[in-house]
Amino acid sequence: MELDYPTFIGAAKTTADGLKSVALGVGAGLGTIGPGIGVGYIFGKVIESVTRQPEMREEITSIQWLGFALTEAIVFYAFIFGLIAFFL
Amino acid sequence: MSRAAKIWIGVGIYLLIGIVLFVIFGSEGKNEGFKPQDEFKLHDWIPIHIGGLNLSINRAVLYLWLACILTAVTMIWIARRMQDRPNRVQTIVEGAYDLTYTQISKGNMPGGTAAKYFPFVATLFFFIWFSNMLGYIPLPTSHEKINIFGVDFPAFGLYAATANLSVPLVLTLAVFILYQVEGIRRHGLIRYLKGWLPAGVGGAAAVPIFIIEVISQFVRIISLSVRLFANILAGHLLILFMGGGLAVLLGLAALGWITLPIAVAFYIFEVGLVATLQAFIFATLTSIYFGEASAGGH
Repeated sequence: MELDYPTFIGAAKTTADGLKSVALGVGAGLGTIGPGIGVGYIFGKVIESVTRQPEMREEITSIQWLGFALTEAIVFYAFIFGLIAFFL
Repeated sequence: MSRAAKIWIGVGIYLLIGIVLFVIFGSEGKNEGFKPQDEFKLHDWIPIHIGGLNLSINRAVLYLWLACILTAVTMIWIARRMQDRPNRVQTIVEGAYDLTYTQISKGNMPGGTAAKYFPFVATLFFFIWFSNMLGYIPLPTSHEKINIFGVDFPAFGLYAATANLSVPLVLTLAVFILYQVEGIRRHGLIRYLKGWLPAGVGGAAAVPIFIIEVISQFVRIISLSVRLFANILAGHLLILFMGGGLAVLLGLAALGWITLPIAVAFYIFEVGLVATLQAFIFATLTSIYFGEASAGGH
């Protein structure tokens, strides 16, 4: 991928380039809201289930990390698609 | 003085130093010469061009080889000198073996498939893990040069084979093709494709749902590869920007003082959690896909 674009951060040459930077920032930022809620929900539920059934702790922990990683990755999908829109 | 007061005084002194630095050095204006995207650009070290193909040796190739060699050599070396009373390294590797065998493979695949594909899944896990961890060790591979006593040395930089989309994509394609082949071999083409439909769906509803299932199968290629690639790349970008990239870009030396602790925190987070977690996720999802294909149905 050739990234030799005059603007990546801070050096916008034209209004269109500046707007693209803003769009990338806003898009990636908005994309973190959903996964943020999701990650909080997962950990909240894990705390709830572990306090309810402490003997299930090990099993719950492994599922928790699976869910965490799957949810967290969505932030990066937003970021990557923002970058694609930025460079196209 | 209570502990809270001490902490607040420490934070205050820290911020004060930042402000003093800002007053002394001020802003040098925006830096137009430094392009952060060049940090991930691949320069041809040994150019090899065959027709339209560019098979040059570059940074990504070096990291890929390093990860391969490290994985193979460590595993073979430890397997050769297994002891009855394990030392610390052997204990760690046995723990990793147990993780890949019982939790990742056996937990998600039926018995026969687990025995057959455990080596594949474990290799994926260890290769991705070594590749990720290698990415957090600064190696002198950057194209930027630093001058020490008149000699140019390559600057230290972070890179990983998995921070380049091509490596996760190839791993994903291998997984995708292998589990489809496994499913077709076990059930036959027609029965395998029928197995994609959720139980109890029939008649006219089957066609649109089948199309959605086909799309979701192909979306797996994107999600599996981009998840690994983007996690590692974003981690490197965060460390790069917080560990001085922002300060250089904006020409504010004081900003570097403020953002450096954030860089250290992100570094610990990435090394301690993300590198291992992404390898674990990749291997787990692979074995879930294999389990689904060989068991049939949802």
